[in-house]
Amino acid sequence: MIEVQHLTKRYGQTTAVDDVSFSVAKGEILGFLGPNGAGKTTTMRVLTGYMPATHGKATVAGYDVFEQPVEAKRRTGYLPETPPLYPEMTVHEYLTFVAAIKGVPPASRTRQVDTSMQTARVTDVAYRRCGALSKGYRQRVGLAQALLHNPEVLILDEPTAGLDPKQIIDTRELIKSLAGDHTIVLSTHILPEVAQTCQRVVIINKGRVVAEDTPDNLTASLAGVEAIYVQVDTGGGDAAPVLQGVTGVVRVVGTEARDGRFSFEVHSERGHDVRRDLVSAVVSQGWGLLELRPVRLSLEEIFLQLTMEESESDAARAASSRDSDGVASEASSAADSGAQGGNSDA
Amino acid sequence: MRNALAIARKEFRGYFTSPIAYATIGLFALIFGLMFVAFLRFFMEQSLRAGAGGQMGMGGPQTVNVNQMLIRPLLLQASVVVLFVLPLLSMRTFAEEKRSGTMELLLTSPLRDWEIILGKFFGAAGLYALMLAVTMLSVVWLFIYGNPEWRQVLAGYLGLLLLGSSFLSLGMFISNLTQNQIVACFITFAVLLLLLLLNWVAEFAGPTMREVLTTLSITEHFDDFAKGVIDTRHLVYYASFIFFGLFLTSRSLDADRWRG
Ligand SMILES: Nc1ncnc2c1ncn2[C@@H]1O[C@H](COP(=O)(O)OP(=O)(O)O)[C@@H](O)[C@H]1O
Ligand SMILES: [Mg+2]
Repeated sequence: MIEVQHLTKRYGQTTAVDDVSFSVAKGEILGFLGPNGAGKTTTMRVLTGYMPATHGKATVAGYDVFEQPVEAKRRTGYLPETPPLYPEMTVHEYLTFVAAIKGVPPASRTRQVDTSMQTARVTDVAYRRCGALSKGYRQRVGLAQALLHNPEVLILDEPTAGLDPKQIIDTRELIKSLAGDHTIVLSTHILPEVAQTCQRVVIINKGRVVAEDTPDNLTASLAGVEAIYVQVDTGGGDAAPVLQGVTGVVRVVGTEARDGRFSFEVHSERGHDVRRDLVSAVVSQGWGLLELRPVRLSLEEIFLQLTMEESESDAARAASSRDSDGVASEASSAADSGAQGGNSDA
Repeated sequence: MRNALAIARKEFRGYFTSPIAYATIGLFALIFGLMFVAFLRFFMEQSLRAGAGGQMGMGGPQTVNVNQMLIRPLLLQASVVVLFVLPLLSMRTFAEEKRSGTMELLLTSPLRDWEIILGKFFGAAGLYALMLAVTMLSVVWLFIYGNPEWRQVLAGYLGLLLLGSSFLSLGMFISNLTQNQIVACFITFAVLLLLLLLNWVAEFAGPTMREVLTTLSITEHFDDFAKGVIDTRHLVYYASFIFFGLFLTSRSLDADRWRG
């Protein structure tokens, strides 16, 4: 239903979106997850035909958004980051105007406006001025606007941003209920949102796709990267090369040495339990093994790590000041390779 | 075209949701009315002096005088007032949509650029036409108490409509260059004033230069309309001017899109 191929968008010197590819199947909800400035809005603006890409191609419902913009737009409903409302119009006036410019035939306009107001639950404010609405209602009127011409594809840019918890839950339920009939792409920088709403997640950071999978697989495959926290007392020498030498160890992230005690995070290949070998390696050196425990990464951490990747220098700075950050920065590379592994499985 | 009409309707109504429409219509009608009274008094004095003993007021034989001495200068003055008022109508066309983010709605709806541009143009021109229609109330007086040549009046109003529409098309282009209505208003006003100045510069220029400048001058082409003459050259001039303004608007809309 949606195909994005090697999409790149530059604003002058800034590359906002860099060689992004993904596709969304009919009826699916795709979560577009990334921190602020990742390029979510930019990607969506290209998809909706608001602006052309610098390179690459995007098709919506079989129509190239650049070559056949009107056809593509007819089949797309879009809720921008800030709902595009005319403050002086009433909700009803506004939706009627939107119906006209979205090409809804005059005969079915009244019905479509009513249906979309019901679906987005804004019927009770139909005759209020848009400018006088609360944030929650604005967002819903924006949603009604996107749904109005019953488009095949819905592009929702941070649909729950700025809502209170109750409204967030309602909006998520609403979006879920729309899947099936509609193919939905929603962006968010809130992780639990994708886990709860979406069937598939594309994680984007600094304009690049860093992972793509189902929320469950992401958790499983990334969290499945065996990470083991090891603390050894070497009495002086560096333990990292030894631990690195153990079969199955992907990388060793040294964090801090205090009084000859080294703390490491050891990442191993998936499904390869290296704990026994680690213990014998440590013991054979005559070191003291002070602690050894598996580390499980939550989806939250994975997300943080994925999106912190490439900011190696930032991480290094953080590492010098705080233990856990240093771990995170390196672990992110591991998580990333894990994510790609997950892809090929899927 | 249906899309353009939907936008035109929205624009036209939009003017009435803020005091802008009432203010501009009221202001224009007031200034026009004051000018009308002033010219009328002047004209009455003149005709009283001229028609010593003969007919009083505006009799049949004085038809030419009513047109030449009252309507023509009135319309010429009105054209200058239009220059001051129209930036108030064109300023919001694009600047406001960009500021509020509703441009994103228009540009992601299945509309072609020309539909958006023409819609906005007709919306603004519609309000301007209403503004002119209100001033016709004073002109109706002339028809009740005198016998002016109605063709000239209509030609004059057609001229005003074309002149103002040219201003609007240029103002729309300028409105698309900024997100700030007030900035758009002032720039439009300054540019229109410059265009007007071309006339005065022409007075002091050499013969060839004068020819060029007066051909370009937007108000020069209005004079014939005020005289009651509808000349194809002037029609073509205004049509080209409007087209050029709308074309610039469409170019800048496209440039924005590429810039992001
Ligand atoms: N109109 C613009 N002009 C220049 N840079 C922009 C523009 N819009 C976004 N950017 C930059 O592009 C990057 C991606 O922005 P955006 O797509 O808005 O990210 P997100 O929606 O994920 O927060 C950011 O670095 C942002 O500063
Ligand atoms: Mg954004």
